[in-house]
Amino acid sequence: MTSELLEQAVKDVAPLSAVLVTAMPDCLLYDSWVKEEGRWAPEEVASYFGDLVRSNREALKSLGSWSSTMQVTIESADALVVLREVNEHFVCGCIFDRSAPLGLVRLHVDRMLDRISAGLPQISPEEQPRAVRIIGFLRRYAPDPHAILMRVALRTGLSLEQLEAPEHLTPEQTQSLEDAAKQILGLQELHL
Amino acid sequence: MSEAKRLLLEPHDLTFVEDVPYIYHCSHYNLFHDQTVDDVLGDTAGQQVRVRAAHAAFRQLLRAITQGASTPMERLSIAMGAFAAMGHGRVDLDVTAEGGSARTGHAHYGFCWAEKYGSRVSRTLPADAVAAGFVAAATEVAYELPAGAMQAVEETCVARREPECTFKVTRAATPVPLPPTVDRQAMEPFLGPSEGGMDEAWIGATADTLQEFVAAMEGDERGLMEGFGVFITRHLTNYYLETAYAAARQAPESALPIVESLLREAAHVCVFHTFGGILLSPEWESVAGRLSGEPEDIVRGCVAIARGLGFGRWAIRELGPDRLVLSTTSNYEAPYYAARFGKSDRPRCYFFQGAALAMMVLAHRVRWDGSAELTQSFYDDLFRGQGLGFRCEPTTCQTMGHDRTEVVVRRT
Repeated sequence: MTSELLEQAVKDVAPLSAVLVTAMPDCLLYDSWVKEEGRWAPEEVASYFGDLVRSNREALKSLGSWSSTMQVTIESADALVVLREVNEHFVCGCIFDRSAPLGLVRLHVDRMLDRISAGLPQISPEEQPRAVRIIGFLRRYAPDPHAILMRVALRTGLSLEQLEAPEHLTPEQTQSLEDAAKQILGLQELHL
Repeated sequence: MSEAKRLLLEPHDLTFVEDVPYIYHCSHYNLFHDQTVDDVLGDTAGQQVRVRAAHAAFRQLLRAITQGASTPMERLSIAMGAFAAMGHGRVDLDVTAEGGSARTGHAHYGFCWAEKYGSRVSRTLPADAVAAGFVAAATEVAYELPAGAMQAVEETCVARREPECTFKVTRAATPVPLPPTVDRQAMEPFLGPSEGGMDEAWIGATADTLQEFVAAMEGDERGLMEGFGVFITRHLTNYYLETAYAAARQAPESALPIVESLLREAAHVCVFHTFGGILLSPEWESVAGRLSGEPEDIVRGCVAIARGLGFGRWAIRELGPDRLVLSTTSNYEAPYYAARFGKSDRPRCYFFQGAALAMMVLAHRVRWDGSAELTQSFYDDLFRGQGLGFRCEPTTCQTMGHDRTEVVVRRT
């Protein structure tokens, strides 16, 4: 359901296809406005946007080039996507028609983010347990995501019931889960 | 391979080369199968089990098809030709009785893993256990060495974004222990009398045509075999079943339901990608006529495909909107299990169970009007979680000593 805040923010932005606000660090959809609903799942896309901004932030920090005003621009075949951190708790993803001029898009994004950031709540987010975030990450990125809990259960010895309630895992079980996730994804480290 | 004697055990729809059993499976199934074995046994042990199973299976095959060859070079040539003709990739072997190397740019598993998953995740271990086992077996057979005398290790792999797959071949310090293999003679005592089912005439005729069609398929210049929108292999059942049952038999009791679930899931993957790809292909229309999309049409088509791919004489006993009873007296899994391990205390025809369920899902939850695309994301949506819409219950199983294997699929 789109909030009044987004309804107002996107007014008169003609080439806009969607706006997704992602709550960080858990990459959960906070709010969305979609011109043509039903073609894709905002919850899913919002998670990827969150991960993308986080990865971008880490990469730029590694380069010593990070600043809080950085943005990610993606020019795909049929969409122009701009991702920006509104503040440390929210990421905003704006999806435009591919034909929209980049200069105009930047102008729209600046104006929309001014309106959106003014209306977002001041929050002190409680970070989800690491095990919850690992499971969420696996569901988004692991091969064969429909089977991921079974795969992790075999690799960790944890039961499906335990994995379905990851917030209750002990630190040792969480470590085992993280090791399995790294094996499955072929990663040395999980930056969540 | 093309000159080797292929045999269709007619009343049972089982296929053999010189008495060595084989079937057809696509890359989606192959990758999921191997992944499951590694999930159960661990990456290192899983890879070892898979290499040894492939080693034993290809040793059995290559010994059979090189009988008329008199020199190591002839036998190596036949081996490389067979591997490519089976769709596993064109491998260059540079080996002597003391060892050597092998290389390929298109090993089926590594290539297909990179195609399917490479843009999404990284891989640390090589993917081509089957090719490694083949390389060791080919060297042994070429130089008439005892079983397990050679070992091959994949050193680089395209699945790890390396330019090609390379294998180092060495003499084993002590013989590599290889698992036993099963052949036609060992399987036959466990095959029941052939039974037909509903739509028998149509299914039989369609399966015969499909058998001829797939028998004529060969690997391309890369040694890969493309058809029906997937990469297909002509593959050795000893490999699949040795590794699947190693996983199922070595898993802790508490993990067995999950292992079995994933082995059935591998069949879902196969039915969705391969059976579905065949049903949507122009070749299918020429063989079986235009697909109506009615559930009965899909299920009987799937049964004909199973027979055509050498899985055994599957038969429809009952079929309604909410229920399918599928039976067989000659599924490829049961005679292998019985010959290799004896009687089981639980139903072990995992592929048959999973395929029956997936057939009903395909029949009732996919639109066959041309709008459906059998993509990975569609598969993920269709088979995700508990929302399949059907469940499968094995009622009898030849691995348990019953006279037929039968499953009932019901709408949930």
